[in-house]
Amino acid sequence: MAKKKRYAMVIDIRRCIACHACTVACKAEMAVPLEVNTTWLKIVEKGTYPDVRRFWIPRLCNNCTDAICARNCPTQATYKRDDGIVVVDQHRCIGCKYCIASCPYDVRYINPLKNIVQKCYFCSHRVDAGLVPACVESCPTRAMVFGDKNDSKSEVAQLLAANATVVLKKEMQTDPQVFYINADETAMSNVEEDINYYTEGALAKLRI
Amino acid sequence: MEHADVNVVYSVQHQLPLVMYIGQYFFFTGLSAGSFVISVIATLLGRKEFKPIGKITALLAPCLLIIAPLNLILDLEQPLRFWHLFLFYNWTSPITYGSFLLTAYPIMGVIYAVMVYTNRQNAAKILGILGIPLAISVHGYTGFILALAKARALWNTAAMPTIFLVSAMVSGIGLVVIIAAVRWKWFDKKANAETREQDKRLILQLAQFMAYVIMLDLFLILSDILVLLTAHSDAFEAGMLILTGNFAPLFVGVEIIMGSILPMILVLGPKSRKSLTAAVVASILVNIGVYAMRFVMVIGGQTIPLS
Repeated sequence: MAKKKRYAMVIDIRRCIACHACTVACKAEMAVPLEVNTTWLKIVEKGTYPDVRRFWIPRLCNNCTDAICARNCPTQATYKRDDGIVVVDQHRCIGCKYCIASCPYDVRYINPLKNIVQKCYFCSHRVDAGLVPACVESCPTRAMVFGDKNDSKSEVAQLLAANATVVLKKEMQTDPQVFYINADETAMSNVEEDINYYTEGALAKLRI
Repeated sequence: MEHADVNVVYSVQHQLPLVMYIGQYFFFTGLSAGSFVISVIATLLGRKEFKPIGKITALLAPCLLIIAPLNLILDLEQPLRFWHLFLFYNWTSPITYGSFLLTAYPIMGVIYAVMVYTNRQNAAKILGILGIPLAISVHGYTGFILALAKARALWNTAAMPTIFLVSAMVSGIGLVVIIAAVRWKWFDKKANAETREQDKRLILQLAQFMAYVIMLDLFLILSDILVLLTAHSDAFEAGMLILTGNFAPLFVGVEIIMGSILPMILVLGPKSRKSLTAAVVASILVNIGVYAMRFVMVIGGQTIPLS
């Protein structure tokens, strides 16, 4: 019997050239408004001059198997599809923002035009039509690979079998479905050098 | 954790999801639960001198709980869809528990208040005993809302519901002291001198009880901070943020010194313990402190970057 579909993504950072094409493709495909991002590239610099190096990591929703957002959504607006993609029902979401507060990856946001919560759905509308997500389609170096993890013939399954992969915040017990090859620990970490700088930034954005 | 030479060039940090409406909601439910518990204690003890306080608090509890959920509805991005909470409930979400508790508790509170005001003592006692678990869960679940959002290090602690309950007791007693003192000063003139003296003693006793609950609150905060500072890196950052970082003036200054230690000295100190003014000032300070605590918890907990 064929196994159930389980969509996953592998991002090979050895191939990634930090061109931000995924960010732009996502903005266009999902009609993401200004000031919010569904996919983005986190870039850090390590070392002191002249021994400096940049590391980066493309960030998007991990479409977790045990998604905290879906567990905590009070109206079941966020739910998991049979193929593992975590989606938000636009017409059911009341905008209580508890899912944003629960998400360990900061990938959810309030769409300022629609006043509901949005996130990356692995472009489920494209996947249903037999295409790959917009970020994968636009990636010039084919660093992003998308497919069915349970189909051993798929490129995703083969990459996962042949490479050492890591996920973001494994300790959160969410079983993320976006896997990284050759990701830098500092770029994956959320704890910054000066936390007060970030809290000031966050407070500046506070809407009362 | 030290990254001495790491510089974040670009990252995305989204807006803080929960704003002060949520903190205000926590504050008002806390006041309501606290005053309900005081009312039930007064009813159960059944002594004649407790009656005025039992009546005031019985009225306060449902009134405050009508204000509280309004904050929640205002906070929604789609306020007109609030009824989705009841139709499309999800039993794994603490907000679902909350939406049903927040419906049941005010109804219970109103019936209880009617019983108290019509002097049906036995019915009031039974309703009071049944209502206490409801009052505790209506406020305790708000602690679970924060604790179950496990990504936020400042919230994700098993002590959170207890901290919320104890600080609710503190602010609830504080509010009762203020209102009872106002009643004593301006609306209780006709009573004879003996009753007035008794009422004043009762208010002072209530203020002293508040000071003991503050001690418990301080112990819980101390244990929370101690564990935060010794746990994983996010928790350490959260602990340092409220102890020495941007939220230190509010947490250490307003919540701990102004809102806990100063009222304790005012209420228990040998010079001011007999003074009603000191008790009222202490109660106002306590309420400011608890409001600051809600701000530090709700807003401070979210400012630690996740990506």
